[in-house]
Amino acid sequence: MDRAISRVFLVGAVLMVALMVNLAWIQVFHARSLRDASQNHRLIAQQLRVKRGLILGFDGSTIAGDAKRSGFYYRTYPQGPVAPQVVGYDSVRYGQTGIESSLNGELSGAKSSTQGLVDRLLGRHRPGANVELTIVPAVQKVAQSALGAQLGAIVALDPTTGAIIAAASAPSYNPATIDVSFASLAKNPDAPLLSRGTQGLYPPGSSFKVVTATAALNLGKVTPSTPFNDSGVYDIYGGKVTNYHGEVYGAHDFTKALTDSINTTFAKVGTLVGQAALIDQMVHYGFYQTPPLELPPGMVYPSGRYAGSKLLPTGASMNPLDVAWAAVGQESVLATPLQMALVAAGVADAGQVMKPYLVQRVTSSGGRVLQTAAPSLWTTATTPATAQTLNVMMQQVVNAGTGTAAALQGIQVAGKTGTAQRGASNVAWFIAFAPANDPKVAVAVTIENTLFTGGDVAAPLAAQVIKAALAQPALP
Amino acid sequence: MSRRNTELLLLVLVGVAATIAYVSVYAARFHDIRRDSIVTGAVFAVLFLVIHLCERRYLAQADPYLVPLAALLSSIGLTEIYRISPALALKQGEWLLIGVALFVATVLVVRDVRRLDTYRYLFGVAGLLLLALTIVAGTSVNGARLWIRVAGFSIQPSEFAKIAIVIFLAGYLNQNKEMLSVPTARLLGVPVPPLKYFGPLLVMWVLSLLMLVFTKDFGMSLLFMATFIAMLYMATTRVVYVVAGALLFAIGAGGAYTWVPHVHERFAIWIDPWKTAATSGYQLLQSLFAMADGGVVGPGFGRGYLLYANHVPTVPELQTDFIFSAVANELGLVGGIGLILLYLLFAWRGFHIALHASDGFAKLLATGLATVFGLQSFIIIGGVTRLIPLTGITLPFVSYGGSSLTANLVLAALLLMVSHRSQVVEAGSTTERLRLAELS
Repeated sequence: MDRAISRVFLVGAVLMVALMVNLAWIQVFHARSLRDASQNHRLIAQQLRVKRGLILGFDGSTIAGDAKRSGFYYRTYPQGPVAPQVVGYDSVRYGQTGIESSLNGELSGAKSSTQGLVDRLLGRHRPGANVELTIVPAVQKVAQSALGAQLGAIVALDPTTGAIIAAASAPSYNPATIDVSFASLAKNPDAPLLSRGTQGLYPPGSSFKVVTATAALNLGKVTPSTPFNDSGVYDIYGGKVTNYHGEVYGAHDFTKALTDSINTTFAKVGTLVGQAALIDQMVHYGFYQTPPLELPPGMVYPSGRYAGSKLLPTGASMNPLDVAWAAVGQESVLATPLQMALVAAGVADAGQVMKPYLVQRVTSSGGRVLQTAAPSLWTTATTPATAQTLNVMMQQVVNAGTGTAAALQGIQVAGKTGTAQRGASNVAWFIAFAPANDPKVAVAVTIENTLFTGGDVAAPLAAQVIKAALAQPALP
Repeated sequence: MSRRNTELLLLVLVGVAATIAYVSVYAARFHDIRRDSIVTGAVFAVLFLVIHLCERRYLAQADPYLVPLAALLSSIGLTEIYRISPALALKQGEWLLIGVALFVATVLVVRDVRRLDTYRYLFGVAGLLLLALTIVAGTSVNGARLWIRVAGFSIQPSEFAKIAIVIFLAGYLNQNKEMLSVPTARLLGVPVPPLKYFGPLLVMWVLSLLMLVFTKDFGMSLLFMATFIAMLYMATTRVVYVVAGALLFAIGAGGAYTWVPHVHERFAIWIDPWKTAATSGYQLLQSLFAMADGGVVGPGFGRGYLLYANHVPTVPELQTDFIFSAVANELGLVGGIGLILLYLLFAWRGFHIALHASDGFAKLLATGLATVFGLQSFIIIGGVTRLIPLTGITLPFVSYGGSSLTANLVLAALLLMVSHRSQVVEAGSTTERLRLAELS
């Protein structure tokens, strides 16, 4: 009987050891995957108990602040929504997007560098770090209200640094009420949650002619005064390229081809440049790469030739007709407003495209600077000489071409219009920079679903944003 | 050192540890150390001192480790409950007071454990009645019917029934173990003991199945059946009972799985809690998440993330069934393994007492009590850690709940009485023997 008792105890001891092994599995070996499980909201809920870092505008004003209610911190937006698609929302139910997501470690204080050594030793949790954006709320607001009820986007940046000054996307939404409005926002066919500036892929239309012109000038295929003759149609490879509204321009030079946006001439120039050099020029402007903004993966799309929702490889074959249409920004070329703003910025900054960025500074709650933006070159689009030639040609667009609506009193604007057909309506573009002789701001305006041209509806908006930006006491 | 002095020394250590734990929670909650926290520690110490003094008077030779272990477990429980809800901790404190009174009453009334043998059928009937009471008058909580309400108190009769039934089984098996050990008949080629002796054991099986069907209390049903099989094996040393018992239980469990939706659901959660992460699997997943946060050492008492801002626990039923998850969250793997070790130690002392018991009944009683205690700990800890399907029973001494706390103190009292008696008999103390003889 005693042996039986000992045996039963032994079995019991084995069971207890099994408990310990299983516990070690949960708490140590399997702990990480349990913590990272999407069903596990403990981390977010814990973070709500710590004061979240502020998201500030470049002017130091609060874009996303904090308020405390029954022990939990929640986000407030003292200026109303400012670039909500880029700043993002912070919701226990729907997670985080934008800067709220990509800089969550800093904002929540989870990243150890945001906490002092003493705090870490004492297990005290300091509020998260503050994130200062390059977004200038005053310019952002002008851009957002300029879009009004239209669908579209405006991206403005400093061509000399790459700092994003404004990134407006319409329609917009209010991040303060995301918990109740998310379901209807997600279902809305106009996609208010979409960051059109970085995620919207549109046919760039004639605004892309700047890229084609860069390639042609670089190769020496044309100069601004190279003569062309337009009969209204360019026949190639069994197809044809025609002008907008069937216009016929007759004899003209290359500068006029850009200022009046003559498709047939650019189709010819595209044919002269050829597929390889055209695609290569696109790559040099940043196409086919994801602009390295501080946004979560999937929130910035690369531009380039697309088949459906897939970016085609640079070597994907094209027939001569495809090349001719691509040279005028149609065919399968798609670009984000950010990418087209970077094209304008490249011309403005003597052929250099600076790395775009959104975060100016990260400071701990104690005021220690943890991170400061350091502007750097992203890609070289062309030579300073070609850039200067393009600069002058683009000034002509605003002074005497399709972009006169972008002209400003006392400020020389350089730009290029675009009107791409998409379905039954147009995508209207205007890309620009100013002042032309000392560029401080580059901008891309995109209006979806319009019946008007880029010169009609996009150019005036670019002027408003440029005016607002140049009126600022300081830009990033 | 005498056994009681050893115990006193250990109790003092437990008292110090309990006070530190309590102060830790207090400091974490209020960022301050106040007198109340030390006072509460002191009250706790006084209650266990009463038990100690009672032992000095009546159970001088009893095992010196059981009470410190019970005290340590209770203090961990009280601290964790206080951390979850101070109001509940106050109630649990009151239950501890009642439990100590019941401990003393058990010692005073029973005096000699062998007297329990005389009333074995009475205990058997009492155990059955307590269970029947749950079936008839019980209220359902979380799909299982466990509680009855008496004069404003929620009582869980199964906690007391388990002791009554262990007493009955110890008596019955002790009396009939020879008959049960000798196979005289054959059933399908398997030698079986005569039905006359086997009959009451089939009754146990049917009983545990009825419990399962009517109260949906899979945990208690498993506990009763497993304890019964273990005791039967220890009494007869025949493995055939283990095999037969396991088969019978498997048949019963299979039937319950098929026909009782509650049991079926519990099983499905165990297999894949992720599939129903937002609904039925939520609780178990939250428990796993809480433990995963604990890591190796945990943040310490009162410093884990266990409550939402509105003071609702992150794991439903955290203070009762899931208290182990709370401890593992705050004290980490080290604390969790420590807690499991304490249960293993308690069971070991129980088996140790059984091995040294002076007579068959006492031996079976001690093994039965030690088994029921150890198994209950295993079933609930295994449940909340997803080693086995989750069944709602309390973690002895630690979970919030008056019935569990008081019943386990009575269980400890009975074990100590067996221990004391065997020591006295071994020592051959004439006076004690005379006193015991007088009583019987």
